[in-house]
Amino acid sequence: MKSSNNIFLYDGTFVNLLCLIEYLIDERIKPIDICNENTYEYNLIDNIINLNLKNKIKLHEYINKNYKNIYKTIYYVFLSNNEKKEIIIFYFIVNFLKYKNNIYNYRYLNCVNKALNLSLRVSRETHKFKGFTRFKLINGKILFAVICPDNNILPLLSNHFSKRLKNDFWLIYDEKRQSYCLYNKKHCYFGNATINFNKFEDTNIMWENLWKTFFKNIAIKERKNLKCQMNFLPKKYWKNIIEMEDL
Amino acid sequence: MQEKLKILADSAKYDASCSSSGSKRINKNGIGNASYSGICHSFSSDGRCISLLKILMTNCCIFDCKYCINRKSNNVKRAIFTPQEICELTINFYKRNYIEGLFLSSGIINSPDWTAEKLLETILLLRNKYKFNGYIHVKAIPGANRNLIKKIGSLVDRMSANIELPTNESLKLLAPNKNEKDINNIMQTIKNNKCKDFVPAGQSTQMIIGAAKETDFQIMKKSFYLYKNYNLKRVFYSAYVPVNNDKLLPNIITPPLLRENRLYQADWLLRFYKFSLNDLFDNYENFNVLLDPKTDWAIRHLDRFPLEVNNASFDELIKIPGIGLNSAKKILSSRKVWSLTFDDLKKMGISLKKAKYFITCNNKYYSEKYTINQSLIYANLINNEFRDKKALHVQLSLFDEIKQ
Ligand code: SF4
Repeated sequence: MKSSNNIFLYDGTFVNLLCLIEYLIDERIKPIDICNENTYEYNLIDNIINLNLKNKIKLHEYINKNYKNIYKTIYYVFLSNNEKKEIIIFYFIVNFLKYKNNIYNYRYLNCVNKALNLSLRVSRETHKFKGFTRFKLINGKILFAVICPDNNILPLLSNHFSKRLKNDFWLIYDEKRQSYCLYNKKHCYFGNATINFNKFEDTNIMWENLWKTFFKNIAIKERKNLKCQMNFLPKKYWKNIIEMEDL
Repeated sequence: MQEKLKILADSAKYDASCSSSGSKRINKNGIGNASYSGICHSFSSDGRCISLLKILMTNCCIFDCKYCINRKSNNVKRAIFTPQEICELTINFYKRNYIEGLFLSSGIINSPDWTAEKLLETILLLRNKYKFNGYIHVKAIPGANRNLIKKIGSLVDRMSANIELPTNESLKLLAPNKNEKDINNIMQTIKNNKCKDFVPAGQSTQMIIGAAKETDFQIMKKSFYLYKNYNLKRVFYSAYVPVNNDKLLPNIITPPLLRENRLYQADWLLRFYKFSLNDLFDNYENFNVLLDPKTDWAIRHLDRFPLEVNNASFDELIKIPGIGLNSAKKILSSRKVWSLTFDDLKKMGISLKKAKYFITCNNKYYSEKYTINQSLIYANLINNEFRDKKALHVQLSLFDEIKQ
């Protein structure tokens, strides 16, 4: 493969990233970086190439069909907040094509180790938010939650809630990315919007108060251990968790 | 409702179990499902995981267990929830994603059968009328009719009967109305009926630590027996919190949390790390509170170390202090293609804090000065353990969720 001084741009979607990677591998190009065109900051030094590829879908299909676990790993890395995630995915895929499923043994390669760690981090944060997400019932009809996770876990989280709360309308808003997922008892719809959520209140505030009562009374004061609590429930998440709000 | 919830959460809090794992119940056109790995929703100020709405149906009780806040002879405020109220609370909390499900226990009111029937009525209402498919853990009432236990079991994810004390003698002394036979009968019934539609997440139990005179060995022996004979999913250990004054109870001020922690660690070693009772104790009666049982074992058996990371077997790897099941798996897979160095281990996120004294990588020690020397290692590790206060009093509830 030949090294290139160019930065390649993609449109910010997972499918398009794999299009670009397929192209780079076909052309045997090692890019210096791969960036999302929506967030990339243009400057005078970088050499930019924006190919706007659409039809390179072989790689995506190949992995998705034959290597579900690899596909999942890559997709999770893609959802992470790591700035270098695209180039990590690129090298991960290059090695994957060489080693196939044995890639998991190659942790001594930096790109493999990093990818596996990032994917684990995303999966852990998703798991936490399955518990830490708090809904308010708005207008007696729609369940509304605000989250502020480190990684872009909304697609994974909504998958969980579309099974669990499949007969309710709900809306989850990621305030960090200003993106949302709306569920209408059938499908999830994703989009971007700025929602001013401070004015939303639960239709029946009684349940929030009862929950706070429960939360207080279930603790054993002789075992008080705030450090341990903080360890499991880091402060950065508190502002959207109602029982922690007034602490 | 506020007042009732206050009383009935407060009196339920001494049960250590919070786990919501082990069930795959799906959402059949209602609300809720179970997550096989379990989910923690919050953490209370004592650092314990809150997963289920843990309440008593009532704290009225005709029994008089010495260690229990709800015993007959105590003069405390009493309350009782109606089945309706319990369902409303569960559904409304669940919808807002405060909880993973319900953990319903109860004092014994009128008679064991009467209590069990009330519990059954509540669960039936919740499953059928409210179409709730989330996790339910119900306490089995000792002495209740076997058919009631069976009916309840077919509706819930987990059932538990608390053994409370490891020997029959202490049970007689401190829980005069309970007897071992009743509890064993329940466990047997649950074991005999367990299947996909009957208590799919299995049964658990709890022992109170430090209320009677048993040694750690007696406690672990009992656990071992329970796991073996009744296929229990979990034995929980609950440090005795002094709530009553009674000459039969120990005169302590703080609950023995460190001891509880050691028992949990040992329980883990027993179930997942292929340790035997003999390994754990080597003729001692109690654990060394200064070190975790695995490290303590390793120091007693230094002749088996150091182990070479690049060729030790899986069973050997998991006995190295500081190396868990996941780390062992990572080592096994990585060394197929590469000979591991200490840096590689660090990179994989394997903590060397304890392990470094017990391993070599390519026949090299982590540091020259770590050549096997019992007293030196001992001193260093104890020092570590106490500097790193976080390691103490860690609640294992969360690890349970991640583990499975
Ligand atoms: S049976 Fe014993 S432990 Fe249970 S509530 Fe009654 S007094 Fe307490």
